[in-house]
Amino acid sequence: MTRSLPDQSLGPEWTILELLARGIIDDSEVQMVRDLLTTDTLKWGELLEQALRHKMFPMLAHQIMSASLRFDVPTNIYMHLESALEWNRWQIEVFRRETVRVAQALADRGIPFVVTKGMAFESTLYDSLGTRYMNDIDFMITPRDRDKVMTVMQELGFRPFFDWAKDARREEISSRLNPDHLPKLAREIDQPGIRLIDIDIANSLTWTKSPFDVPVEEALENPVEQPIPGMSGVNIPCFRPIYQFLFTVLHLFREAWLQKFVESGTDVGLMKFGDVIRLIDRNQNKLTDSELLRIMQTHGVTDAVAWVLRHMDETFHTHAVELLALEKHGNEKLLRSQMRSPGYVNAWSESMRGRLQSKSRGSVRPVAPAHRGS
Amino acid sequence: MDDITTQFEECLRRHLRSAKPNPINYDVELVQLGLDSMTAVAVLMDMEKTFGIRFPDDMLVEGTFRTAGRLKEAVQLLRERQAS
Repeated sequence: MTRSLPDQSLGPEWTILELLARGIIDDSEVQMVRDLLTTDTLKWGELLEQALRHKMFPMLAHQIMSASLRFDVPTNIYMHLESALEWNRWQIEVFRRETVRVAQALADRGIPFVVTKGMAFESTLYDSLGTRYMNDIDFMITPRDRDKVMTVMQELGFRPFFDWAKDARREEISSRLNPDHLPKLAREIDQPGIRLIDIDIANSLTWTKSPFDVPVEEALENPVEQPIPGMSGVNIPCFRPIYQFLFTVLHLFREAWLQKFVESGTDVGLMKFGDVIRLIDRNQNKLTDSELLRIMQTHGVTDAVAWVLRHMDETFHTHAVELLALEKHGNEKLLRSQMRSPGYVNAWSESMRGRLQSKSRGSVRPVAPAHRGS
Repeated sequence: MDDITTQFEECLRRHLRSAKPNPINYDVELVQLGLDSMTAVAVLMDMEKTFGIRFPDDMLVEGTFRTAGRLKEAVQLLRERQAS
């Protein structure tokens, strides 16, 4: 997908991260990142903070190392970046082994599932460089298999885990009342630098009672077998490209559109958009035939997908809406909306770019009276 | 009105905007009083705190709080269990 160079109005730090998030595709972008990293006015504190907020620390580290900027970066910062990249690579290796362990147990019991998000993308969209950060390992199952999967996970040593949440009881109640995921599961492990492995198992492409959804049973049909790097002959099932795209976009939509994720500080970051851009880049032929549009229209998710792609195009200067022929979908009212609670949609005036850069998103408030949503 | 009913209704009124000005109808669905997925969590947590109870997993379902009447029955049941 073609894109013009970003404007630098938000400073060199932000421009570097935008370029890395959407993926460096030619020599002019390589040079631009290099120039920005060596500019005298670069604020390292700001760059590192934003890289951490957007889960891009290993990616930034890799960029600096591969560009041979060893002596252009303050020594202590370089050493820390180097360690962070190595640690991320180690964590990915541990996660891969655990992914295979869980996948084999589910497959042995004949439970349909796919591996999603970071673990599915790391070796395909990010070339196994160890640059894709992930907090946990994600799976998708059908709602009817929730109990069976919970039993399997307990047999594998996992238990429901809410300690990660600021208010553990709130999270526990919320997960029971909104059964789009199993409760987050964790297992203690004995590996250097990694104390716990978290697993997140979803059974919906969006959320409980979402007005936008694609049936998970349909999405799980005909998964693709994806090799696991470093494990010869071992594959994991992943969504085929059209459903991988739909899930990734709708998941981004969920985190960006629902007010509760803004308030909890866990809403959308640069890398979520980076995943979508890479998915389109890698699967352009499969995403631009009529099947994707037909599926979106069948399930009434076209406006939600257009919401994400319009914000993405505005922010990253991509042309995804045009490429996927969605110019006639979505509208200004939806584009500027954010859902506060079911049935009520609040107007929202900030640009996605401004929102992504903001460090106080929880203070983002609607600017117009709520209106009844669809 | 007994103490439990007073506390129960105060708890509902703290979270449900449509419950504030009117007497609470125990048969009306709480959704009609402004309950949504986020306020449901807040209401249940407030009930737990107010009455010193804990909803077990099998009660963390929509049926428990479909109406004020159903929710009050659940609260009373948990208080009785705790007392015994």
